[in-house]
Amino acid sequence: MVGTSKRLPAIQRLVEIKTVAEQLHFKISTLLLHGGKVGEAVTWFRQHNGSYRRLVGTPEAVFLHWEWMSRQFLVFGELLDKSSAAITNISSLALGTADKPLSEWESRPAYYYQLAAHYLKEKRACLELALSMSETGNEMDNGAESVVPSAYVGQFARLLEQGDEFAMQSLTDEEYIRFAVVEGKRFQDSYEIIALLKKSYESYSNLKVQRMGSFCGFQIGKEYYMAGEFNNAKQLFDDIASLYRREGWVTLLWEVLGYLRECARKYGTVKELIEYSLEMAALPVSSGTDTQMKYRENGPAGPASLARREEIHKDVFGLVIGESGLSSVERNDDLKITLDNPLHLEIDLVSPLRLVLLASVAFHEQKIKPSAPTLITLSLLSQLPLTVEIDQLEVQFNQSNCNFIIMNAQRPPLAATADDKQGHRVESSSSLTLSTNKWLRLTYDVKSDQSGKLECTSVIAKMGPHFTICCRAESPASMEDLPLFKFEDRVETSPTKDPALAFTGQKAIQIEEPDPQVDLNLGASGPALVGERFIVPVTVSSVGHAVYSGELKINLVDVRGGSLFSPRETEAYSLDSHHVELVGISVPEGKDETQLDTDEINKIQKSFGLFSVPFLKCGESWSCKLEIKWHRPKPVMLYVSLGYSPYSFESTAQKVNVHKSLQIEGKTAIVISHRFMLPFRQDPLLLSRIKAVADSDLPASLPRNETCILLVSAKNSAEVPLKLLGMTLQEDNEDTGRPCSVRHEGEDLLEPALLVPGEEFKKIFTVISEDDSSKLTIGTACVTWTRDSGSKAASVLTKQTLPDVNVESPPLVVSLDCPPYAILGDPFTYLVKIRNQTQLLQEVKFSLADAQSFVLSGSHNDTVFVLPKSEHILSYKLVPLASGVQQMPRFTVTAVRYSAGFQPSIAAYTIFIFPSKPHFKGAAVGTGG
Amino acid sequence: MHFQAEESEVPMATTACFIIVSRNDIPIYETELGSAAKREDAAQLHQFVLHAALDVVQDLAWTTSAMFLKAIDRFNDLVVSVYVTAGHTRFMLLHDSRSDDGIKSFFQEVHELYIKTLLNPLYLPGSRITSSHFDTKVRGLGRKYL
Repeated sequence: MVGTSKRLPAIQRLVEIKTVAEQLHFKISTLLLHGGKVGEAVTWFRQHNGSYRRLVGTPEAVFLHWEWMSRQFLVFGELLDKSSAAITNISSLALGTADKPLSEWESRPAYYYQLAAHYLKEKRACLELALSMSETGNEMDNGAESVVPSAYVGQFARLLEQGDEFAMQSLTDEEYIRFAVVEGKRFQDSYEIIALLKKSYESYSNLKVQRMGSFCGFQIGKEYYMAGEFNNAKQLFDDIASLYRREGWVTLLWEVLGYLRECARKYGTVKELIEYSLEMAALPVSSGTDTQMKYRENGPAGPASLARREEIHKDVFGLVIGESGLSSVERNDDLKITLDNPLHLEIDLVSPLRLVLLASVAFHEQKIKPSAPTLITLSLLSQLPLTVEIDQLEVQFNQSNCNFIIMNAQRPPLAATADDKQGHRVESSSSLTLSTNKWLRLTYDVKSDQSGKLECTSVIAKMGPHFTICCRAESPASMEDLPLFKFEDRVETSPTKDPALAFTGQKAIQIEEPDPQVDLNLGASGPALVGERFIVPVTVSSVGHAVYSGELKINLVDVRGGSLFSPRETEAYSLDSHHVELVGISVPEGKDETQLDTDEINKIQKSFGLFSVPFLKCGESWSCKLEIKWHRPKPVMLYVSLGYSPYSFESTAQKVNVHKSLQIEGKTAIVISHRFMLPFRQDPLLLSRIKAVADSDLPASLPRNETCILLVSAKNSAEVPLKLLGMTLQEDNEDTGRPCSVRHEGEDLLEPALLVPGEEFKKIFTVISEDDSSKLTIGTACVTWTRDSGSKAASVLTKQTLPDVNVESPPLVVSLDCPPYAILGDPFTYLVKIRNQTQLLQEVKFSLADAQSFVLSGSHNDTVFVLPKSEHILSYKLVPLASGVQQMPRFTVTAVRYSAGFQPSIAAYTIFIFPSKPHFKGAAVGTGG
Repeated sequence: MHFQAEESEVPMATTACFIIVSRNDIPIYETELGSAAKREDAAQLHQFVLHAALDVVQDLAWTTSAMFLKAIDRFNDLVVSVYVTAGHTRFMLLHDSRSDDGIKSFFQEVHELYIKTLLNPLYLPGSRITSSHFDTKVRGLGRKYL
């Protein structure tokens, strides 16, 4: 065989060379990558690629070259793929040399797969060419079947069967080409290409390299499209289109949309076809580049030019309006917009179709009264290349009775719309023509009877009998521009003529409540008094509106803010924690029985109340009384609001609210105070008094087994006269038994005592402590009173617990004894009695000072010892020398054991001296002696 | 050699596609430079390649303080060179292998032109450059350096 070998024909020789080179390259690459030298392997591959790339070969065998190229990239990519699992961090490798640095992608398998697919595409194109040239060579098929790879790498030979003998016969170039073409036909290149690109696409997606991925995706989509798998193609194209839309690569988007449009056409989905077509027509592909785009073999989109956009625009509107004669559409019967198959497009704030139709709506005012008309400006903008005529515009609001329709006066009214515009206002406009990038501004009146928010939701444009575009309304103030339409020389236009409105205009307006025509009156007078049920009359009188399902809301709020009870005191007053409370609502008798239905709301809480108001005709009035009780003096805000609907009982009906508030002062009416008094001229020595003089907070002390007088006084601290109905001293705990006896001096009041403001009412009780306990509970002073208002108001009970008192046994009691009065020159006896109540001997020092108006007999100073449980009496004789109120001689007693000095009060010394013996009449003579 | 003749059959493409991409990734200027016969599908393919190369620029721009990023990506025999301005506007040039020096000068001169455009008070940064003056100047620079 070796001897017979000769130079192969040119094509086969090239094939052989490349095959051998491929083998060698494969081995070298494998070794390099196995050693982890990625950089070197890539450099090696680049060199290999560089040396063979240009060896294309003869034109008829070019496909062999591209197939070979593709294989190189595929194989190297796979090798890299396998080894890159072992190499974790490729980017950290020092790649390439200084003069030819490697890009990051050259170490990624995805790059090679992508290029493999690229060359495979080239191969397919060339193979198709070769096939078309060799159409006639079918008869050679059987001859080609016997061609097999020969023993040498890269060589092919024909196998000849001669009986049992096999012989290899070398091929001519023509024969080889024929064989290769037939071989090539057997492969489904499309699927191969898709598989390669998919690998690349997934790899890029994993790396989060979106744009590279999109490029691959676009190529896959194109392959699918060519293979007729429109569904797969559409999915991919949709993804890619969204990226290009976002980044504004218009030319690329145009290309992708062209494919999408064709996919939709092939599927017969009219809606998508129209959507894609409209988007394409509105794309800002620059018209200036027409000339240089001529050379291009375009995708289905056609050249990105203004002319093409206009063509698409005409196509779409021809279809929409129903004019036939569209060559592209006629092929498919499904692509018709008819009565049964109407088309409705939605354009929202993020839709790419905002380019096609943009609706900006601005109210001229921000707030209006109900039923007052206001102006609304509707601005439409389209970027379509040709002018568009709109047949009818429908403006929709959230309050559907405000909707209105604008008819194009130049068009005959559409028959189909006659039925659906019932109940809506119909306006007419002289022209509804949208020119490219020019705002169509329409201003109309709107009025609404319903209060609340009135918002324009959408604008529906009707073009042709069965085609509508619903465009979400946008406020000019918050409108985003069209990102694709930012051109240097493009004049910024505002949707409204008034520039201020363009900056601040809103698509929503606030409609105020109608003015209430009902009076609400709170008729409280003067401050409230603590404890009473204070009455606040509330009058609802209708002056223009009837009151349907009226509802009175009552709120009590602390004037200083915060709640009506102090948290510190919540525990003590857990049951009665509100200082001010709403006790009740009463309706004047005689009317209420029929009106207060059981199902009507009637809720009362401590500081909140809800009360139904019966139906009132226009001109009627109704009143009720709020009863509020103060537990503490506190100013309070009373809020009363009446909500009613002026027209009907329906719960959805609009409510009108009237508010009234009133500040009410809460005041203490009765201040109760008390005082203890001991018998006149009798002073017990109370040890606790001696010790703590400074501390005045100590509870009062009473001597044991002595009669004390309790004086309770009630003072009117209010500004109105009060009637006092009675005063008692209540025992707090009846069952434990009282350790003292309390007696009323005198009887209960026979008739109420009138107290003018500031006046005091006093009542005397006697207290005798009997028990041995050191504490004495006096009880609670209860005062019953009422306002002196003439009408019979409920009496109020004011209670005050009197503080406990200490009880102690005095060791010594000093008492003075002298007659109630004296007569000038008449001697009388003045006794000082010192009673020792202890079991001990008490040493007592005393001294007596002289007095001007008296002559006295007896010792001035001495020390005496008082025996246990006995009484020592010092006796003096006094002769008055002057008449009138005179001071008797003062004396001081000092108990040595307790080091306590004692001096009676000035009042105890005072005595009245008559100049001569008085003559009393009647009973007075008897007592006077 | 026998192959020598074949090699010369492949046309030396002198094609170049130049694009200015704003900081929001939106192309604001695009042009085809070079005068030689163009292959079918070329302009569209060029844009695809340039768009894909944005991914690389995104990574690379923050790793260096230089404005000229040299050849950052290659597709087949086409190379992408990028120049990033301080405002992160990217000049992207798709070309076949060529000296870096010419490209660098080209970029620098275009940068100057671009700054002049920016200084125009009527030009809104980030919007498309449609001035014919700018276009003519860029094409002139292309002829001069590329």
